[in-house]
Amino acid sequence: MSLLTVSNLTKSYRCGSKTIAAVDDVSFHIDPGETLALAGPSGSGKSTIARLVLRLIEPDAGRIEFEGNDFLALSGAALRARRTRLQMVFQDPLAAFNPRATVARVLDDPLRIHGIAARAERPRRIAALLERVGLTADVAPRAIHEISGGQRQRVAIARAIATKPSLIVLDEAVSALDVSVRGQILELLLDLQRQERIAYVFISHDLGVVRAIAHRVVLLEGGQIAESGDARTVIDAPQSAIGKALVAAAPRLNRIRP
Amino acid sequence: MSPLRCFLRTPEAVAGAILLAALIAMALSAALLFPGDPQAIAGPALLPPFQDWSLPLGTDRLGRDVLAELFHGARTSLAVGLAAAAAALAIGSVVGTLAGFAGGLVDEVLMRITDAFQTVPGFLLALAFVSVVGPSLGIVVIAIALGTWPGPARVARAEVLSIRERDYVAGARVIGMHPLAIAFREVLPNALPPVLAMSSVIVAAAILTEAALSFLGLGDPNRVTWGGMIAEGRAVLRTAPFLSIVPGIALVLTVLGVYLAGEGIVETTAVRRGLS
Repeated sequence: MSLLTVSNLTKSYRCGSKTIAAVDDVSFHIDPGETLALAGPSGSGKSTIARLVLRLIEPDAGRIEFEGNDFLALSGAALRARRTRLQMVFQDPLAAFNPRATVARVLDDPLRIHGIAARAERPRRIAALLERVGLTADVAPRAIHEISGGQRQRVAIARAIATKPSLIVLDEAVSALDVSVRGQILELLLDLQRQERIAYVFISHDLGVVRAIAHRVVLLEGGQIAESGDARTVIDAPQSAIGKALVAAAPRLNRIRP
Repeated sequence: MSPLRCFLRTPEAVAGAILLAALIAMALSAALLFPGDPQAIAGPALLPPFQDWSLPLGTDRLGRDVLAELFHGARTSLAVGLAAAAAALAIGSVVGTLAGFAGGLVDEVLMRITDAFQTVPGFLLALAFVSVVGPSLGIVVIAIALGTWPGPARVARAEVLSIRERDYVAGARVIGMHPLAIAFREVLPNALPPVLAMSSVIVAAAILTEAALSFLGLGDPNRVTWGGMIAEGRAVLRTAPFLSIVPGIALVLTVLGVYLAGEGIVETTAVRRGLS
């Protein structure tokens, strides 16, 4: 049984007298421990889908089934409790945290809110989370703005795994990082997936990265699914026009070098 | 550069800080230098200033020591000014945060209430409130805060409207934080700087409003207030103008001091934020 099933999801925005469909009748599913990439050009509805799946915005129509339950039917405390299983990592790791927060506070919040660990035990749990994402416990008392971008994204991943989720939405989670850090973060994500069987919705416009880590890919254009299937198959031989355009636009070093 | 040194670089801020420090020293030392009731009779009536050095600023119509009254009046002015401003900023930032963060009907209702308070002149509102409820220090504080909170509320709401779209608010929702906790733990503290920047103007205005209420006889009758002293001196304005002038000067210097020091602090924090 699939972990997340999205059917006929639709979301439109009104812009003056015109109605623009940001997400138009999109359906897909993810199995436990799988990585599904959502790829497409800017404005294709990737991030809107992420926010819809996380109930940060409400869809106009469609169904979202998560772990066998109707996720759209939840509200209030039931929704907040269910959020432990479905987490998100944002593109800009600086904007994703309260500018006044310290690393310890960021990681303390989910443990405290969901009663995962008693107050006395939390510092130990925070240290364990930091070690799990390749940081040392001594960054805990530091402010978010004092650590590097790569460290921040590791903290974001630590926050996401604090509640032991079955699915993490990665919204351009490695796009803002420099190339060497990007590789390390991707390694960390793959390692977490292997050990904890976490599924990822990996949103990216970088088909190189998608091909490297995703099992399946959904190509989007103008809020609609243009093409979907096995990541390598689709990227190596795209059938849709937008697929061909995206693959052609992806930079390849071996093509530049003679 | 340390914030203190940055603050001390502007002469206006230093002047303001000195005036404010003098006022605080007056308020704190009032009970030490002038123990006993400042409203008790201390000498002959209408003694001009600088005649008798045991009563350096002379006496009023009833023979009360003007200098003692001035010191005790500093306490009232400062206490009312700070308490009223703190209350106005607290109410304003809570209402503004709730309105901006909740949006929809809550926003609509709270902002219409804010409009209602803002359209009534603040002083008139304070006047009506004190006349109905009766004059005491606490009531005067509430009365002033009642007319002052809409300003901070609007500023807080505007700031919250931009903050609530940030990723970290979405992040707080994703980890399952309660909406009220998001509003008051994540959003409000980050919306505060522009609201706090208004505090110097609000404190200065609150001190003036308190003086005006006292002048009209609506201050706490059991406390000496500068406004009350000015009102007291009004009857003998031609023969003994110093009775109105002395507390008047004290009032001007206080408001000036609060304003300059407040602006200095805002300037300092703005520079520091600009650098970081």
